[in-house]
Amino acid sequence: MSDIKKKALAILKERTVLLLSPLALFLLWTWACDRGIFPEQLLVSPARVLDAFVELYDSGEVQMHFHNSLYRLGIGFSIGASLGLGFGILMALSRVVENLFLPFFTAIRQVPSIAFIPLLILIFGVEETFKIVIVAKAAFFPVALASYDAVKGVPRTYFEIAQVYKLPTFTLVRQIILPATIPPILTGFRLSLSRSWMVLVAAELLAADSGIGQMMEMGRQMFRIDIVMVGVAITGLVGYALDRSFKLAERRLIKWKFA
Amino acid sequence: MNAKSEIDLSLYTRTDNIEGALSIRSLGKSYRIEDKTIPVLENINLDIAPGTFVSIVGPSGCGKSTLLRLIVGLDNDYSGDILLDDKRISSTSLDRGIVFQDHRLFPWKTVEENIGLALYNHDIPIDEKRQRVADHIRLVNLAGFEKAYPHQLSGGMAQRAAIARALVNQPKILLLDEPLGALDALTRVYLQQELQRIWLQHRSTVIMVTHDVEEAVYLGDEVIVMDAHPGRIKHRVHVPLSHPRDRAAPVLRELKEEILAELIHAPLEETLAP
Amino acid sequence: MSEQHSRRFSAPTLMRFPFLQGLLFPLLVIAIWEYLSHRSAAYAYAFVPIEEIWQSLLRLGTSGELFVNMTATLRTAATGLVIGSSVGVLVGVLMGVSRIVDTLVGPLYHAIRQVPLIGWIPLIGLWFGNGLFSKTLIVCLASFYPMVLNTYEGIRNVDKCHREVGRIFRLGHWQTFRHVLMPAALPFIVTGLMQALAFSWISTVGSELLFSAGPGLGGLMQTAQAASRMDVVVLCVACIGVMGFAMNHGLSHLSRRMLRWRNVR
Repeated sequence: MSDIKKKALAILKERTVLLLSPLALFLLWTWACDRGIFPEQLLVSPARVLDAFVELYDSGEVQMHFHNSLYRLGIGFSIGASLGLGFGILMALSRVVENLFLPFFTAIRQVPSIAFIPLLILIFGVEETFKIVIVAKAAFFPVALASYDAVKGVPRTYFEIAQVYKLPTFTLVRQIILPATIPPILTGFRLSLSRSWMVLVAAELLAADSGIGQMMEMGRQMFRIDIVMVGVAITGLVGYALDRSFKLAERRLIKWKFA
Repeated sequence: MNAKSEIDLSLYTRTDNIEGALSIRSLGKSYRIEDKTIPVLENINLDIAPGTFVSIVGPSGCGKSTLLRLIVGLDNDYSGDILLDDKRISSTSLDRGIVFQDHRLFPWKTVEENIGLALYNHDIPIDEKRQRVADHIRLVNLAGFEKAYPHQLSGGMAQRAAIARALVNQPKILLLDEPLGALDALTRVYLQQELQRIWLQHRSTVIMVTHDVEEAVYLGDEVIVMDAHPGRIKHRVHVPLSHPRDRAAPVLRELKEEILAELIHAPLEETLAP
Repeated sequence: MSEQHSRRFSAPTLMRFPFLQGLLFPLLVIAIWEYLSHRSAAYAYAFVPIEEIWQSLLRLGTSGELFVNMTATLRTAATGLVIGSSVGVLVGVLMGVSRIVDTLVGPLYHAIRQVPLIGWIPLIGLWFGNGLFSKTLIVCLASFYPMVLNTYEGIRNVDKCHREVGRIFRLGHWQTFRHVLMPAALPFIVTGLMQALAFSWISTVGSELLFSAGPGLGGLMQTAQAASRMDVVVLCVACIGVMGFAMNHGLSHLSRRMLRWRNVR
């Protein structure tokens, strides 16, 4: 066998072995449900989950929940991330701003976002505002931290080079500071987005009238585990998709790093 | 000369000198990269009497480090035979010690723990182990640094600890792979003297690979000159001077010039022509 | 004669001490809060006066209620952390040391990891009810993931040089593991532990909010919110923050001691 063929075979073998245990688990799951080992309230087969999804899709329910959740995520994230970006950069550039705000932010950061849910409910009620605020809070800190670190991390030598060549400020920012800080800031955005999504679903589980989280909670109360699983699957898939697309964007925007 | 360490360590001196004979027959080693076979060592034949200090010099790529790895047993893929006291070697063994260019002490262990590690699989009572570790720390002049971590030691000190670790087992043969290569010039000179002193007390067979020809002739009873692409033995030079040696001895300088000339490919006849 | 007085601004006290500057904004927030609480009855419902918060602190503190809930939350977090990270280290070590385990278990682990923790909560609630077991299970899961990953990385990244030294001195499998692999992997494991600590604290609070049975700061907060007791809610938030910070700090300190052989330069 030629070397190329040998390599291809090796890769194929590797890929199949990789699928071995997840596949085994999947089969075990289906088998256990077929045999009726667990009552319907505890476990349903993958086929049933798919059925539930189709049912929800036909009734338009899942689209509505999905749409509402994503809407809240979009607005909350945009607000939180842009504020975070602004504050992060400002704090890194100005000693005064840093001294004024850093201690407060550090203190708030110690409290997990979900712990703020009851507090925010009391202030904003259970309407849309509360959910957007909590998403904004969750989105704010990773981005603020990442931008702060990124700008602080720009080596002093870069600024000195700009001085030696008498570069105008705009060029300095565009050609030097931006490329130096974009990679960590993008990573900050990515982490912030996945965290915000999780916090949103948690908030919806606790107090909401629509959204993926609420759909799961309703399913739980009605003992419809198939609906719960549809919700879990959607939560996981959306989180994965958001993370992946950001990673792709990272690769595109900073070709020079991965080249 | 530290008289105190001489008296304490006499019991570690190999006075019999019948162990540690190395025999290499038709040794060959090659690497496979994609579809090509690249020979690294070719037809190495070597006989080293017990208790001899042998230096090996040669240009980059002549396989000198590979040779040491094969002798110590870290690499077992070769053709030919390597025999220690007429027995074929297999894998690693406490009979064959090695000191690398990077000290390779475990950063999470203190100096004495690092040296003690060498004795884990040595079948002697624990009191004797402790004594040996203490004695060897004194041998390399690191007394007082038993509880220090490697990151607290200077390069020279760490290398001395590595030497102690390699010797504490009393190996039949000690391999040194450019042991002083990572140190600054002054430390190197000091450690060369130390190596000579330590070896004179231990008297195991030593094979040292080095880039420094002066170091090679100062320390070695014999200097083996190797050639590259593929690595083979070109020449064996005997150093007719008894130990302990004076660094400034003229015969050493002559030999150094001779070997250097050979390494730069100028044939001997031309340099001696009037 | 013109004298040029160089104007030297004697920096106001505020500028001289960054610490004081740091207090400015929080004090401002508190002042706004206090103002809002007195503005109208409707606002007082949401923004309780500082005085009331203080009173609640005294009340809950002396009655022991606060302490009971704090210890309950702490216990859940600690139990989950210890169990989850131990299992995590074990799995990580097994995956790192044995190629077979890695190939079999690895993909399974990565597949299951895709399910976000928040997704497990309704499922576990359905399967195991609302009580302590479910909460602890969630915390175990939360600590498990980061530990497996970091331990695995730690073991796989052990420098070849160190392994070779082990071979030279004929160290057996267990000796190599104990004296070479584990110490080399320790920095990674400690990083994983710091992450696991943060996740366990977050998931403890989260699971207490969602499974409101039993004592705990989360449960206390939930009940207070339902009864519109903002003072208790604020108290809980402060407790959670302070406790989280203290644990993080403590672990940081401990890890520096454990890793003192590292070159900190």
